[in-house]
Amino acid sequence: MKRLIATLALLATPLSAQDFSEGSNAREWNLYAESPATFEATVVDLLCTVAGDCANECGDGRQLGLLRSVDDVLVYPNKNSQTSFNGAAYDLHPYCGKLVDVDGLLIEDEDIPGATNIYLVQTIKEAGAADWAKANQWTKVWAKKHPDAKGKGPWFRRDPRVLSFIEADGYLGQGLSPEEAYEITQ
Amino acid sequence: MYLKQLLAAALAAAGLAAPAAAAEGTRVQITGEIIDTWCYFSGVMGGTDAVVGSAHHTCALWCSAGGIPVGLLGDDGEVYMVLKIEGDDQSASGDTQMTLASHEIVADGMLYERDGLNYLVVEKVVEDRGITNLNHEDYGVVPPFAIPKPKK
Repeated sequence: MKRLIATLALLATPLSAQDFSEGSNAREWNLYAESPATFEATVVDLLCTVAGDCANECGDGRQLGLLRSVDDVLVYPNKNSQTSFNGAAYDLHPYCGKLVDVDGLLIEDEDIPGATNIYLVQTIKEAGAADWAKANQWTKVWAKKHPDAKGKGPWFRRDPRVLSFIEADGYLGQGLSPEEAYEITQ
Repeated sequence: MYLKQLLAAALAAAGLAAPAAAAEGTRVQITGEIIDTWCYFSGVMGGTDAVVGSAHHTCALWCSAGGIPVGLLGDDGEVYMVLKIEGDDQSASGDTQMTLASHEIVADGMLYERDGLNYLVVEKVVEDRGITNLNHEDYGVVPPFAIPKPKK
């Protein structure tokens, strides 16, 4: 009944003004257009849901979305809770096809075309479950995939593919040596 | 069960309960730059002019490898979220999208629109012009730590 009342209340509210902050424990990132947002959703394969390309539905390496229960809006989780350039697909993958509760930050920036229904997921749990899991799995999955890339520093300084691109084209993609690229950007 | 039916009826009455069926796409050809969408949308590293092009190339590689969605920033100023490129459905950290990081391309494919976002299935990269936005001349490198200080 509570959800029904909440839904009916939302129906009377303009979509752009909907507020999902109630009950959120999301940590602020102090981004210009962020709002804390917690909601129930189904984790869906975006390529399947949007384009009907379902042959590899929920397969490894595909981006996943959050189909919000209360209004059927498709939210795009661009980011997980980590601060080292990590998306959310690894964190959402175990839940693909399932109903979940998520908590995080919703980005709605009217000044940037397309910056709507963009989400940073911080915690996730199956709907109705008691315990939340942190959305911080990316670096752990990466470490398992790259046992030979152990070393000091963050993953992005050691990732074999990133290093190969920088080796080939330089930090600016212009074929400059690291010294040259550093010098001209100071 | 009664509540579910009531809820469904309420949503349907408001036109919000359409099933999650895929929409029909529109064939398009879009020219633009393959970008890292999180930095672009969130402003976490500055304005939109600074988180594209050569200035942001290394970060674009990091984000693409890190599974952050890539988008095609069209000449029209719209962002098209890329879900597939020439048969490669690895839109979270895939190889194909990494080869195009910061590149200006001409993409032919199918456009889908949903809830304010544009989604693009690239069937063919008609042209790859490489990195054409040399904005490091204006912004240096973004973020500044992307290029390590050379050891003497």
